[in-house]
Amino acid sequence: MSDKTVEELSFPEEIRYHPEHTWAKIEGGLVRVGITDFAQDSLGPVVFVELPGIGDEFDKDEVFGCVESAKTVSDLYMPVSGRVEAVNHQLEESPDLVNTDPYGSGWIILINPRDPADIDNLLTRDGYVSLLKEA
Amino acid sequence: MGNTLFTVTGCTRCKIVKNFMNDRSIAYIEKDMKAEGKEDFQKFYAANRKAIYRGPEGIEFPVFLDGAEIRQGIGAVIAYLQAGKDLDGFFSVGTLHKEWVDGIHVSSGNPAYAEEFLAVLRFLKNVNMKLKVDTNGKNSRILRQILEEGLASLTVMEVAGPRGLYGRILGEAVDISEVEESIALTARFPRYQFRTTVAPVERPDGEVSYLTPEEVAATAGMIEEITGSKKQPYKIRLFRRGKEADDRLKALDPMPAEALFGYRSAARVHQVFTEIDNE
Repeated sequence: MSDKTVEELSFPEEIRYHPEHTWAKIEGGLVRVGITDFAQDSLGPVVFVELPGIGDEFDKDEVFGCVESAKTVSDLYMPVSGRVEAVNHQLEESPDLVNTDPYGSGWIILINPRDPADIDNLLTRDGYVSLLKEA
Repeated sequence: MGNTLFTVTGCTRCKIVKNFMNDRSIAYIEKDMKAEGKEDFQKFYAANRKAIYRGPEGIEFPVFLDGAEIRQGIGAVIAYLQAGKDLDGFFSVGTLHKEWVDGIHVSSGNPAYAEEFLAVLRFLKNVNMKLKVDTNGKNSRILRQILEEGLASLTVMEVAGPRGLYGRILGEAVDISEVEESIALTARFPRYQFRTTVAPVERPDGEVSYLTPEEVAATAGMIEEITGSKKQPYKIRLFRRGKEADDRLKALDPMPAEALFGYRSAARVHQVFTEIDNE
């Protein structure tokens, strides 16, 4: 579990959230994906991120990789269906970017969504925060 | 390359290993993966990920490397520092925490190094760790020593099967008198458990099939006969195929969990407290 309270964590308004703690942000026609501040704080220091291959296709809610920390191994879930257009190779050298900048340089994959409307079905900031508070 | 010990802040086991090394003047560099050693551990982990055990609670610390070998977990690290590779087999990375140390396998190491093995157990016991010891019946002489010195807080004996199949199940020649002696010894520990895995066996005709309920009942009966009791703590469990399984095992369908009920009923004829192990 996270060491911090929900209020101490950061959840930007402009992105959408998957209940399994990944986020999605529309950038042009593509969707950038990472894990939330709650997820990174719960994991603790990340030591490895298993990335998918470019061109791999996944359905929404499908596991596309995993994040490994000293505490645990956690699967990564696709927030929307689509094809992987790019992966963050910086994480191979510096996996802790996921901890230090989860919504910025710690992004994980960039996908070409099969249906851009998928993103509308994800949680808003308030919806995600409510989910965390209920848990 | 010298010795490196990867630790994590607040890890009692790491402190015990450091004390062990300091007391013996073994030089090393400590790298705390939550502090100054974070980047080095990330690099090490990325390069050696397949060799690092990750349990339900994450990576087991400490992790030791000397340039040639990697050892992980308090038992395996102390054993390697004590006797190099001679004690390989006796220790694996454990999954228990707090004061418990598991991953101690009496039957899997070379008995020629019994004294070195026992020295590691004595050290761990002396630093107030509780030891969970596993045996499959081999190396009964070492098990006797552990009993006599009071080194184990919990002993679990995997009674592989009935006498006639024991060697076939383990895949090696087995002196059944050693197994019988280990059963008798196990029942003398203050806290112990017998267990049988419903494992696949290669039959004399070359076919591979799981132990039958009758064979598990015969195993329970052997425990009754040797210990003189039908009330031993006895568990049966499903076989879990390892990644290294050969093609014949891969061709065998996994046994459904509900099949164990029939085995439990059969075993209870000889061991009335037989339960299914769901761990």
